[in-house]
Amino acid sequence: MTATTEPRNQIVVETCGLKKTYFGKIETPVLHGIDIEISAGEFVAIIGQSGSGKSTLLNILGALDVPTEGSVLIDGVNISTLSEDQLAALRNRVIGFVFQFHYLLDELSCLENVLTPLIIHKGEVTKDEEERVIALLERVGLGQQLHKRPDTMSGGQNQRCAIIRALANQPKIVLADEPTGNLDSRSGDEVFKIMREMNRENGVAFIMVTHDDRLAQEADRILMIEDGWVHEVDKNEHRMKLLNSLKDW
Amino acid sequence: MKVLSLVPPKWRFETTLALRHLITGGGQTLLTIGAVAAGVIVIIFLTALIFGIRLKLTNMLTESIPHVTVRVRETEPVPLSELQDLGSAMSSSRIEKQAPQLKFIDDWQHVVDVIRTIPNVRVVLPAIQGQGFASKGANPIGVTITGADPEEQDQVSPVTKDLIAGKYIGLASDEVVIDYELAKDLAVSVGDRIRVNSSAGNSESMTVAGIYSRGQGRGGAYVTLRTAQSLFGMGNSVNVVLVKVNDLFGSDKVADQIQNLVPYEARSWSREYPSFVSSLIVQSASAYLISAFSLIASSFAIASVLIVSVLRKSKQIGILKSIGATRSQILRVFTLEGIGIAVAGSVCGAAIGTLIVYLISLPVQSTARPGHAPDQLFPVAILPVYIFGAMISAIFATLVASWFPAQQAAKMNPVDVMR
Repeated sequence: MTATTEPRNQIVVETCGLKKTYFGKIETPVLHGIDIEISAGEFVAIIGQSGSGKSTLLNILGALDVPTEGSVLIDGVNISTLSEDQLAALRNRVIGFVFQFHYLLDELSCLENVLTPLIIHKGEVTKDEEERVIALLERVGLGQQLHKRPDTMSGGQNQRCAIIRALANQPKIVLADEPTGNLDSRSGDEVFKIMREMNRENGVAFIMVTHDDRLAQEADRILMIEDGWVHEVDKNEHRMKLLNSLKDW
Repeated sequence: MKVLSLVPPKWRFETTLALRHLITGGGQTLLTIGAVAAGVIVIIFLTALIFGIRLKLTNMLTESIPHVTVRVRETEPVPLSELQDLGSAMSSSRIEKQAPQLKFIDDWQHVVDVIRTIPNVRVVLPAIQGQGFASKGANPIGVTITGADPEEQDQVSPVTKDLIAGKYIGLASDEVVIDYELAKDLAVSVGDRIRVNSSAGNSESMTVAGIYSRGQGRGGAYVTLRTAQSLFGMGNSVNVVLVKVNDLFGSDKVADQIQNLVPYEARSWSREYPSFVSSLIVQSASAYLISAFSLIASSFAIASVLIVSVLRKSKQIGILKSIGATRSQILRVFTLEGIGIAVAGSVCGAAIGTLIVYLISLPVQSTARPGHAPDQLFPVAILPVYIFGAMISAIFATLVASWFPAQQAAKMNPVDVMR
C-alpha cells in the first residue's frame, strides 16, 4: 500500500516494504509492509487505534528501532547500514523527538535541557547557537522560564520546552508521539499551534502520531495505520467524518 | 560552572550531567559517599591500630636487642657411632652438651670490616657478653655483663635513652651502668660502689655511674670494652659482634650473608623470636583480610545504590539516547558519577579516619616506667602509605562497583524504557 503525494520538496523519509515483527515467546508481526514518503516541510499526522503499530513505525522512523524487513531511508541514508554510533549521530542531527511526556532532565534548567542535543554533539555551544535557541524559547513564551527547572514549570511549558529541544539542532524531521496527549485541551492546542508554526517557519517535516482527529485534520496529510498496514486518508472525507461525529456529540 | 571549562569539550556533557546527578541526588549521593567513606575509615583505623601495635611491639623488642648477633658456633656433640664404623663395639648412648664457654672472635677487626660491606647494615659493634655477679656486701645477684664502646652500644641497645640517673657516655674503666631493678635489689644509687665478679673468676670494684630502666628484664650491667676484656680475661678479643640493620625484616638475609662471608654463626632477631614474627604476620594478614572484607561490603552497598539510581533514571537514559547520546557517552556519565563518589568518599573517609586515629592516639596509660613519660593507650601509627592505600583501594572498589550499573545504563534500549 502506498500513500504519497506529489513531492513538494526533497524527500526526507522514505520506507519501502517496511516490516516489523517482534520475536518474543510468540512471533508478533506488527507492521506488514509500509511504503511511505514524506517531504521536507510536510506536516503529517498518523492516526490509528491503540496497538495498530503507530508507535512502532515512529520508533523505526526515528532510528530508535530497526525494521525486520524492508528499507528506511532517513534524509537519503538507509538506517540498516548504520552502526549504533552512526544511528545516534543521525538521531542527534537529523531527527528531533517530542514524546507524550516531556521527558526533560530534572537536573537541568529549561535552557540547559534545550541545549542538550547541541552539547551531546559538540560538548559546547557557541554564542550564536545559544542566542538562536533563546530566541526560539522566547518565541514560544518561555523567555521568563530559561533558568527554571522542569519541576517548577507547568505541563504545557515543559512540552513547549521539549519541542524547542527537538528543534535545537535544526533537524530535518521532528517525530512527535502524541505530544498533546498528556495536556489539557487549551495547552494541547497551544502546543500544536507552536509545532505547526515551527513547521512552517523552519521548513522542518513533522510526523505526529495522534488520537485527536481534530488536530489530525490540521495536518497537511493524514496517514492511517490499521492492523499493520498504512493508507492515506482523504482530508475532505476525514473532515466530514469529524463534523458528523461532532453533530452526534 | 567555570570548572567545567577545564574539561575537554568531548567530555563536558558527561561531566556536567554526572555532576548534576550527584548534586541533585542529595541524600542518595551522601549515602553512597558515606558508604565509601565508611570503608576507608575502617581501613585507616584498622591498619593504624594493628600496624601501630606491630610497630610498638617490634620496637619494644628490637630497639634494645641487636638485630643480628655473630658469635662462635656452638659445636653440637655427635655420637662416636655416627663418626666411625665401629661395628658392634660399645658406644655410649648418652649425649651430653658441652657447658657454655666464652669463645673468642680473635679476628674481630676483620669480621667487623667484612660485615660493614653488607647492604642494609647500620651499625657493627664488637662486644663482650657474659654472666657474672654484682654484690654490695653480701648477697651476690646474677648479672649479664655487656662490655662495649658506649657510643656504639647506644646505637645497638640504647642505654642513654633509658637512663633515669647518671650517665653512660664517657664511662670510665672502673664505672658501671646497671638497671633499675638491680640497683633496687642492691640498694645502691649513682656514685655508690659495687663489686662485679665475672664467670671467668675475675672481680673488680666499680662505681655505679648510671641507672637505666627499660621496663623489661633485670640484672643488666654495662661496662667499657676494655673493662669487660679484663673481667673475662679475654685480652684483646671479643666474643660477639652485634649488628643493627636498617630494615628490620631484612635481618635474616643479612645473617645469611654474614655466615657466607665469615666462619661464625650469625643469628637474626627474627630467628631468635619465631613465634613473635609469626604473630606479627598473623596480625598483618588479619588487617588486610578485614580491610578487604570491609571494601567488598561497601562495594556491594555502592553497587546497589547505583543500580537503583540507574533504574530510576532509565527514562532519562532513554531520552538521552533518543536525542543522540551514544552508548559510550552514557557509560561515561555513570562511570564519572562513580568516580565522583569514589573520590569524594575516599577524601572524606581519609580526613575523618585520620582525625579519629589522631584522637585515639591522645589518651595515655595511667602507669608509666620509672623516669619515663606514660605510653599511649592505643599505640596507633598514622601511616600515609596506608591512608593513600585505603583511598586508592576504595576508589578502585567503587569503580568496579559502578561498572556494572554503568554498563546496564549504556545497554538500555530507549524503546523499551520509554514505552
